[in-house]
Amino acid sequence: MKASGESIAKGILTVVAVSALASLLLIAVFIFKEGFPFMLKVGVGDFLFSSTWNPQAGQFGIFPMIVASLYVTFGAMVIGAPLGIAGAIFMNEFLPKSVMRIIKPTIELLAGIPSVVFGFLGVMVLAPFIRAHLGGPGLSVLAASIILGVMVLPTVISISTDAIAAVPNSYREGALALGATRWQSVYMVTLKAAQSGIIASVILAMGRALGETMAVIMVAGNTVKIPHAVTDPVRTLTANIALEMSNATGMAREALFATGVVLFVVIMILNACAMSVIKGRGGSK
Amino acid sequence: MSETPPVKFSVKNFRVFQGKAEALRGVSLDIPANKILGIIGPAGSGKTTFLRALNRLNDLLPNAHVEGQVLLDGKDIYHPEFDVVALRKRVGMLFALPVALPMSIYENVVYGPKLSGIRKRSQLNEIVERSLTSAFLWDEVKDRLRMSGLRLSGGQQQRLCLARVLAMEELEVILLDEPCSGLDPISTAKIEDALTVLKEKYTIVLVTNNTKQAARVADETAFFLLGDMIECGPTKKIFTAPEDKRTNEYVTGRFG
Amino acid sequence: MRIAPKSAQVIAVAVLGAATLLTLVVLVFVIAFVLVKGLPGVTWEFLSTAPKDMGKAGGIFPTLAGTVFLPLLAIAIALPLGVGTAVYLAEYTRENRFTKVLRFGTDCLAGIPSIIFGLFGFIFFVVMLKMGWCLLSGGLTLAIMVLPTIIRTSEEAIRAVPNAYREVSFSLGATRWETVLKVVLPNALPGIVTGVILSLGRSIGETAAVIFTAGSSLRMPTTVFDSVRTMSVHFYILAREGISNENAYATAAVLIISVLLINVTAYGMMHRFIAKRSS
Repeated sequence: MKASGESIAKGILTVVAVSALASLLLIAVFIFKEGFPFMLKVGVGDFLFSSTWNPQAGQFGIFPMIVASLYVTFGAMVIGAPLGIAGAIFMNEFLPKSVMRIIKPTIELLAGIPSVVFGFLGVMVLAPFIRAHLGGPGLSVLAASIILGVMVLPTVISISTDAIAAVPNSYREGALALGATRWQSVYMVTLKAAQSGIIASVILAMGRALGETMAVIMVAGNTVKIPHAVTDPVRTLTANIALEMSNATGMAREALFATGVVLFVVIMILNACAMSVIKGRGGSK
Repeated sequence: MSETPPVKFSVKNFRVFQGKAEALRGVSLDIPANKILGIIGPAGSGKTTFLRALNRLNDLLPNAHVEGQVLLDGKDIYHPEFDVVALRKRVGMLFALPVALPMSIYENVVYGPKLSGIRKRSQLNEIVERSLTSAFLWDEVKDRLRMSGLRLSGGQQQRLCLARVLAMEELEVILLDEPCSGLDPISTAKIEDALTVLKEKYTIVLVTNNTKQAARVADETAFFLLGDMIECGPTKKIFTAPEDKRTNEYVTGRFG
Repeated sequence: MRIAPKSAQVIAVAVLGAATLLTLVVLVFVIAFVLVKGLPGVTWEFLSTAPKDMGKAGGIFPTLAGTVFLPLLAIAIALPLGVGTAVYLAEYTRENRFTKVLRFGTDCLAGIPSIIFGLFGFIFFVVMLKMGWCLLSGGLTLAIMVLPTIIRTSEEAIRAVPNAYREVSFSLGATRWETVLKVVLPNALPGIVTGVILSLGRSIGETAAVIFTAGSSLRMPTTVFDSVRTMSVHFYILAREGISNENAYATAAVLIISVLLINVTAYGMMHRFIAKRSS
């Protein structure tokens, strides 16, 4: 009698788990199904490397968008990675625990601020500043890089902090016992030990910068052109999807899915790299 | 001619495998009813594996499989159609580390009865008082039944675990796995006293790494070594005139 | 030129400290700026009346409703699916092909940008299934977005329940399902709830996936098939179309405060959970 209740429960849970998996796979399958045939139709090379984006005329080159995404992501990491790693080191190694216990959650709150708020501040404060002092329309690669850099800071800080905190105290004490200063023990021992976690944090942050849409739409300018200066306006892959989605039909819609495929694959590769970096180091020592 | 005492468990050529490794090698043993059977032996000898086989708790381990028979009142508990859930209500267990469930003392004790469908307040209250009294814990906790069981001392928690087992209406056998290993001498004495009283109603199997405890409390004792049961007999005989040399060496403290 | 170790340390600490300070300053600036410019506009009237003139005047009440209903709907869908899957993974199976695929799928989707969810939701729910822009389209899309998080946090919380509790429950004659219901889930609840609250916080700030699935209607929703506008969508529209900077700031202020409150609650719960475990 009890056994039947048990097998009913197990049956229901199996159905639930399968449904969950199905819905997760649904997205992946759908995006690929809609986007991949397009890439074959138009030719992967043309799609990725042609510079003309004119859906009305049947031209679907996303090269300028790829360049824009790359520049903006790179710029974001140039700003966010050093600041974030520096912050993580400072908080973990040079701040008393009591202070850190207040500051760390505060920084994690940064992660909760909606991206559109950052975008808005970028438009109201940052872009005019750039326009006034550096020229150009203000809405630019630079503006997007700065805003994204700030947005990925919590990711870099949080994961790097975990990696640094996970380094056993015995490593630090060993270095100090040999007469090293605290700073020397940090860069000679702690950073090396934590390096896989820190690298992983940067990779994951890159993935998030690459995938950000709303903030970028607000501050990057959205012109489909390969930028020649950091003050030029650009349109990223994500912005392209968002801006074209409502009007797109037929081939244009498929082009957006194909863009989605590109993003999906790149971000998955980035995540896989981050995972393998973490796992790879975990076995040694 | 003396009549043979009734047998509660009859173990016939029982083997337990963990994957490829044989944790228990062909054990045959009769456990008499209403007596305390002590099981002694050094670490790794299979005592716990044997104990857990009696209520099929080994089923929870990923790679375990068994051969042979374990007969409870004549029926093989490893038969595919045997109701495991019912088995565990008849054969209760106390673990080495006292594990109070993260609930109130009251809820701890009524956990088993509630699973059996008993819902009436008055019945549950009566069960709680009866079980805690039989476990020699009632006087100490009767005013704080709503308190979390986790806040009791180690010795009290172990008696709570005993009360939990005693609350089962269908209980016939109590298995104890080194129940006093973490406890102070006074708590240990309380548990041993409880067992001596309880054997009138139940059959008790006590695994212990403390030979003196077995000598104090057990009616029969079995000596296990490296997965085999070496010898089993009346406690007095095992401790004063054992048949096997290894038994002698263990009980005199030459190894273990 | 070799710098003495002691001086090198002073320089290093100064640089690192400056970096940390900069991060903190930026954080404080962002929050303070929005609150300073926005809070004056957050009056009771603002919160309780409907927008007029496309949001140029009036309040944001319907968007409050949207911001409450949409994430709640998403959680209502994702929670049973997610916790059920977590229970299945943690309690009912050994590692096999199915569980590996499930884990892989969960990890994969954790990093996917929200715009892709928006694209999927738009084409699949709004267009193909002809559901149109509505609460349900948005709720289903958001549910799939937060599902990986809920599965992961729930599974962690369930696995953190000590095995001893399960053994005790079994030895008292409980079935696995009874053990899960009476011992494991109650114990894992704080961890599960934390994951839910974090997902809620994320849903509230979510714009890209929402705007393309739930639409942007300013009317109060009456059924799940009505379109709604959440606060973040409203804020985005106000800002981008330049409708009203004042109201934009005010909406942003409400947004930030809500998200902050939710995150603080989640962290508070998490710390209490961890503290209770170790006592």
